[in-house]
Amino acid sequence: MLVIAKKDFRQYFTSPVGYVCVAVVLALYGFFYYEVISTRSSGYIPGIYSSMLVWCMMIIPILTMRTFNEEEKNRTDQLLLTSPVSIPGIVTGKFAAAALVFTIMTLGSLLPCFFISAFGSPPWALIIGNVIASLAYGFAMIAIGLFVSSMTSSQIIAAIITFAVSMMLILIDHIPGGNTLLNKAAGWISFRARYDSFAQGRFSICDLAFFISVIAIFLFLTVRRIESRRWR
Amino acid sequence: MIEVKDLKKKYGSKEVLRGLTFSVPEGIVLGFLGQNGAGKSTTMNIITGYLSATDGEVTVGGFNVLEEPDQAKRLIGYLPEQPPLYMDMTVEEYLNFVYDLKQIRLDRKKHIEEICAQVGVDEVYKRLIANLSKGFKQRVGIVQALIGNPPVLILDEPTEGLDPKQRIEIRNLITELGKNHTVILSSHILSEIQEICERIIIIKDGMIAADDSTRHLTDPLRGCSDLLVQILGPAKEVRAALLKIAGISAAECLQETEPGVFEYSVTVREDADVRRELFEVLSRHGWPLMGLRSRKMSLEETFLRLTE
Repeated sequence: MLVIAKKDFRQYFTSPVGYVCVAVVLALYGFFYYEVISTRSSGYIPGIYSSMLVWCMMIIPILTMRTFNEEEKNRTDQLLLTSPVSIPGIVTGKFAAAALVFTIMTLGSLLPCFFISAFGSPPWALIIGNVIASLAYGFAMIAIGLFVSSMTSSQIIAAIITFAVSMMLILIDHIPGGNTLLNKAAGWISFRARYDSFAQGRFSICDLAFFISVIAIFLFLTVRRIESRRWR
Repeated sequence: MIEVKDLKKKYGSKEVLRGLTFSVPEGIVLGFLGQNGAGKSTTMNIITGYLSATDGEVTVGGFNVLEEPDQAKRLIGYLPEQPPLYMDMTVEEYLNFVYDLKQIRLDRKKHIEEICAQVGVDEVYKRLIANLSKGFKQRVGIVQALIGNPPVLILDEPTEGLDPKQRIEIRNLITELGKNHTVILSSHILSEIQEICERIIIIKDGMIAADDSTRHLTDPLRGCSDLLVQILGPAKEVRAALLKIAGISAAECLQETEPGVFEYSVTVREDADVRRELFEVLSRHGWPLMGLRSRKMSLEETFLRLTE
């Protein structure tokens, strides 16, 4: 698993993908921090992460779109699948690499906070809650993105589908219709509701378990998808 | 070393392999022949664990590829039809990645250096794979198959797309590797298979059409062999005299190669050596012998006969 993670992580930064994604996200964080500093109130900092959610929804599909279909296109999957590394090891390795890039982006966003803390008192509990929420959301979306990448041979289609799924999971609890069963189900799978809970500084095991379950389910589905290719 | 039992594979409703059974003992170079779509690559992919069979069983070194994949895969070095290379890596980075991927416990630097020197990629060791020629890419693919010194090498069309010089170099390398590895080699170049392999399996429509030693497959008449004889003399009488020689079962005049010189195809019975008597008969009649050579069936002829 570690060898796959190292290889994939390295590949993010031997192509412009890793640099561009990290640079764009950090530039956007920088812009939002600039706006917060302009208001002269560090209390607005947690809101930055909420605003960044939509940008992360666009960046994550770019990170995950080529994970499996690129290997299949270049036939390097033959090397991976004929080596003594298990399919779950390959999938978790790829997940770990994308998750590490996303973690670098998210943790990089804390740099301005440290400078601000020299001159004020940022609400660290809320900020850390937001960072954890962003990471949990990002990791879950990466797992979904990996699964989508294993489903299609086109990188563009993989990116569009992952983006569409992330939009759906964010907007699903806005379905009108009162207290119907559909609304309840939508609320249950909504990423936004779980994210907000963390972002408001409320640590909930339930919400954490939700994100971990999403990650586990989609990594499992990706493993099954890769295994199923061998039987086609 | 490799046991394949009743191997079947279906792609949808199309049956690609229809019950292949063969075994490959340790230390031989086996040639895998068949037309495009005959099932060669599918068989290789199943042996290496890349694909699963619809039915049947494959064991490598006693390990079932499906039930004990990790142990089986550790014994195999595989070069697929298209070398599995990461174009954004240098040769050094790629080989180190493969070394880690295969979980090898040898002296890394020494092991990789030895294989690179053996295969001849040391001069491009620091270069980006994307910038290498096709021949070097193929060599890097062979090096990755050799990492960890696996006892079994499976090479799917290793000389495909190479120029004649590179082809000879790779062929010599495979012959060298065959001295201490069990090798399964597929190629469209039949002369290459004939030269390198001790045994050949010909696949047709997912079934084994022939499985024999190269010598036997290139001499399918076995019980008898043909001679091509050129004799200066009257065709009718020469043919009659030839048929009188003990050991010759048939003689046929093929063509007049020079004025008065006719070429005959002569079928000789098993284990008979007719050369001495042939010389005596011809010299008695005063018919000069202008040429004499044995006529073995080429692998191309055997292949076409078995696959058409």
